[in-house]
Amino acid sequence: MKPKQRPFIVFAIMAAMLLIVGFVQSWSVALVILNLCLVSAIMALGVNIQWGYAGLFNVGIMGFTALGGVAVLLVSMAPVSAALEVGGGQMALAAVTLIVGCIAVVILYRAWGERLFRKTVTCLAVIAVFFLVHSFYGPASDAIEAVDPAKTGYLGGLGLPVILSWVAGGLLAAGAAWLIGKITLDLRTDYLAIATLGIAEIIISLLKNEDWLTRGVKNVTGLPRPVPFELDLQESPWFIDLVETFNRGALAGLGNTERADALRMLSMEGSGIFVKLCYAGLFMIVLTIIFTLCSLALHSPWGRMIRAIRDNETAAAAMGKNVTGRRLQIFVLGSAVVGIAGAMLTTLDGQFTPGTYNPLRYTFLIWVMVVVGGSGNNLGSILGGFLIWFVWIEAEPVGIWLMDVLTSGFDPASEFRARMLDNAQYMRLMVMGVVLLLVMRFSPGGILPEKTGHR
Amino acid sequence: MTEGPEFLNALILLSNYVVLPAITYGSQLALGALGVTLVFGILRFSNFAHGDTMAFGAMVTILFTWWFQSLGISFGQLPTALLALPVGILFTIVILLLTDRLVYRYYRRIKSKPITFVMLSVGVMFVMTGLVRFIIGPKDQNFADGARFIFKARDFKKWAGLSEGLALRSSQLITIVVTMLLVAALFWFLQKTKAGKSMRAYSDNEELALLSGINPDTVVRVTWILTAVLATTAGLLYSLDKSFKPFVFFQLLLPIFASAIVGGLGKPIGAIAGGFIIAFSEVCLTYVYRKFLIYLLPESMEPETLVQLLSTEYKFAVSFIILVLVLLIAPTGLFKGKVV
Amino acid sequence: MKKTFLTAALVVVMTATGFAQSSVVKVGIILGFTGPIESLTQDMAPGAELAFKEASDSGLFLGGKRIKVIRGDSTCVDAAAATAVAERLVTSDKVVAIMGAACSGATTAVVNNVSVPNGVVTISPSATSPALSTIKDKGYFFRTAPSDARQGQVLAQVAIDRGIKKIAVTFTNNDYGKGLADSFVSGFKKLGGKVTINAPHEDGKADYSAEVGALAASGADELAVLGYVDQGGLGIIQASLDAGAFKRFVVGDGMIGQSIIDRIGDDMIGTFGTLPGGVSEGRAKFVQMATKAGINGEGPYVTTSYDAAALIVLAMQAAGSTNRSAIRSKVMMVANAPGEKILPGELAKGLKILKAGGDVDYVGASSVEFNDVGEVFGTYREMEIKKSFQLIQVR
Repeated sequence: MKPKQRPFIVFAIMAAMLLIVGFVQSWSVALVILNLCLVSAIMALGVNIQWGYAGLFNVGIMGFTALGGVAVLLVSMAPVSAALEVGGGQMALAAVTLIVGCIAVVILYRAWGERLFRKTVTCLAVIAVFFLVHSFYGPASDAIEAVDPAKTGYLGGLGLPVILSWVAGGLLAAGAAWLIGKITLDLRTDYLAIATLGIAEIIISLLKNEDWLTRGVKNVTGLPRPVPFELDLQESPWFIDLVETFNRGALAGLGNTERADALRMLSMEGSGIFVKLCYAGLFMIVLTIIFTLCSLALHSPWGRMIRAIRDNETAAAAMGKNVTGRRLQIFVLGSAVVGIAGAMLTTLDGQFTPGTYNPLRYTFLIWVMVVVGGSGNNLGSILGGFLIWFVWIEAEPVGIWLMDVLTSGFDPASEFRARMLDNAQYMRLMVMGVVLLLVMRFSPGGILPEKTGHR
Repeated sequence: MTEGPEFLNALILLSNYVVLPAITYGSQLALGALGVTLVFGILRFSNFAHGDTMAFGAMVTILFTWWFQSLGISFGQLPTALLALPVGILFTIVILLLTDRLVYRYYRRIKSKPITFVMLSVGVMFVMTGLVRFIIGPKDQNFADGARFIFKARDFKKWAGLSEGLALRSSQLITIVVTMLLVAALFWFLQKTKAGKSMRAYSDNEELALLSGINPDTVVRVTWILTAVLATTAGLLYSLDKSFKPFVFFQLLLPIFASAIVGGLGKPIGAIAGGFIIAFSEVCLTYVYRKFLIYLLPESMEPETLVQLLSTEYKFAVSFIILVLVLLIAPTGLFKGKVV
Repeated sequence: MKKTFLTAALVVVMTATGFAQSSVVKVGIILGFTGPIESLTQDMAPGAELAFKEASDSGLFLGGKRIKVIRGDSTCVDAAAATAVAERLVTSDKVVAIMGAACSGATTAVVNNVSVPNGVVTISPSATSPALSTIKDKGYFFRTAPSDARQGQVLAQVAIDRGIKKIAVTFTNNDYGKGLADSFVSGFKKLGGKVTINAPHEDGKADYSAEVGALAASGADELAVLGYVDQGGLGIIQASLDAGAFKRFVVGDGMIGQSIIDRIGDDMIGTFGTLPGGVSEGRAKFVQMATKAGINGEGPYVTTSYDAAALIVLAMQAAGSTNRSAIRSKVMMVANAPGEKILPGELAKGLKILKAGGDVDYVGASSVEFNDVGEVFGTYREMEIKKSFQLIQVR
């Protein structure tokens, strides 16, 4: 197999696997998997920018995904006017105080210079700002959370089209990444890793507990969609016509009533598939844009410089490259891409549930995608996103089937067999680990390794 | 309304709800962090699989505890699990050495980048998580026996004539005592024995240690054995004190990492300090000091509010806030940890 | 003539869409088989399957069809997983109706993303979040468990009636816990009580000593635990008792289960709480039936599970077909008056009446009566641990 053909072959295999799911299970299931594959691929691209291009070990992916998610509700939900009335002004005051306070502290820190008690004075200033902000923030958040807590109890969003939130998600994640990068990027690999891991946890606990902003664990459901609702489709004449045209063969020769019934069933099924196809189309567009930009960047002089820094930081610094500045740039860019994917994921779910974010699913699984797919290679990351998500989802039914076959010799009522079947779903964790270890051992660069062949 | 001297009540109150739980939790974190830091010192990577190694060790111990219990073997007032602990350690040693042979050794030979090892440990973590849940299931497991309390809060109140009670559970005492013994033994091993000395030499300067004839394979093997002892014991102590549930060990890994990093990776003494710093800050920062102050202050100054620095929602974030703050001031931890 | 015509039409539709074999009707049970309420669902699913089996065995269901149950795991916490499993059940297994989901968050995801778009009747036995009352369900969503907005108030009343003036509250940090705590706290304050602290706890965390310390220091003697019996709630109670922090516990429905008594024992005596569902002839009958089948019929949400399943069966019979939207239009009819009252174990009678074109009023084990948004009015039982959980009175 020539290296050039390799991507085509592996992507063809991937497509074939999705088709098999379509035929064996159902097209809806296949499309659900495909949509999440696309989102995963974008996340993997984001991580690849940081790790594959620049060797940054960011274990806080979950945090940026969640920030993308929160952007969806902040952009697209309708504002809650009652909450804005009782607490909006004060909350704005708190925000302004926070920003002004932070600037003041920085100015103070710089102005104080090398005089004595620099750290003590700064600390005192920080504490003063904290209490000042808190005096506005506390009553405001209480007031907002008291507004019909069962249904709202938060400020709501801006009421803008939900598509905008994908951009906003990227920007929000980028902003957070800039701040985090400023603090942590001087740290060495392992220290950086654990620091980002921790910061992601801090972000999640903020999202879970700042009810006035995110509704916290009460979740925000019924987010607006960028695509039509299935029920509306089922009632729109143009869609019914479309379904009719598609199924002309099957519908031919039926009587009027039968035909209407059959058509209704078909358009119900069709509407689900249509909506999922719409999502798939949108996701595909985003993926293409990001992939194109990534490829252009990777092969530009900028990309070469980034890789040079990754491969030999000291040499790059000696050549006069601004290593820290470039690393920050990369960190922000990669996180922004993850944020976009996070926003897309929340849009697809139709609800924002901060309780679902956990590091195993939203950080480590993405890492497995990047490493297995091929770090440093954009196509590889996309493949990793597809493949690993597919395995993650299908490992459960396959695991149950496998256990069923393996233990079929036992008495159906035996405890051993029941136990094996019960625990079969944990096979997916083991499968993930084994796939990762095997790929790292026998194809260290991943399935589609980086082309420059540096390692 | 209160009985006994006010300041004694205040002292007991704080011991019961802050000091004792924090020492226990801190010991468990310290043992975990020691394992992480040892691996980092010798093998030079952050072992993400450590939490699940603890779960594995505890699981084997529990399985054997059940077996012992069914045979009618008991340990008197002490939990039977302590009898099964050596067996658990043995199995964990075997699995860690096996992992090293199958996974890590190859990369050590070809001198891979440190980050490769971290990725590998993520892979091992996945396999180990799956394995533990596959064998024992995801649920809470009950295996504790023996006396639950040394003394109860109610009895203490009666005995001391105070309005505040102090409870001491056997699991807390066992945790503290075993941790002290194990830490003492570890430091003795590292300082006094030949193997320990070569480990320290290897950790300080690999090249020099190799030149002076230290066998790297032996050092690595001893490291894994020590790690197994620490991880299994930490996992079991934790399970005895709270409960055994596989999912929790991943949650536990995060504060353990925070402890190891706060102290400085590769520094055993730092890991211990880090463990207690994290545990105490979690409890102290989220504690409600109202009752404590009521005891101490004159009636006119009694606080109206709860006097809580941070609400308990953010308890879990505390360890990471501390972590980030420490790293800002000392980028390699308090005890100047290693950098690879 | 009309009937044969209808059957013929049905057969055509089924073959056209690859529906199911005509002698078997598939229904889905989606509950959190893994995750925070996995031990509750162990009795809920068999409870529901009891009703499906009863209908199948009667030989009267849609002219002798049998019901095949497909179970799906919603995981309770992961909306994406719940959506995926519902999608599989509805589009791949082609179930005609869903009994589930168990947790409010998962239920919202399933209803919004799968049930409503595909027009599948979904009856939850245990989703209690107040927010579900206003979900845009196009009439496809029902629940046989009452909203938490009511339970919080009832529990507050119970606590006040027992002379509690001051209380500390801890809740599991998710939509269920938070919703229940909100209504409990506001109810308790309204009745003149004082809530000293209202602090969440996270499920499945390493250590609860900080939470217990804060709760204990707030100065209350009683603690309201609104969480799950298999999760943090148990840890909080255990740690409180160990430290001697609280005398008595007030618990929500998620905490009422045998395992808490098994794990903690005598120290739990005096603990009290509320559980949805009244005391009725139907309930007693169901418990008897369940016991015979080896199910703990007294457990939380077991009666509501049976009732949810029974409603699905009766609505299908009333519609005379497995057509999903026809089922929707009949749920209200079979659940509410007028009509012949149907108790657990009497499904055969109901099926017969409906087949003859009559009307039934399903009462079932939990006295089902839907309001206009398709949820029940709550009656609650006040339970107290004497040696095991015992009924004190109905509210």
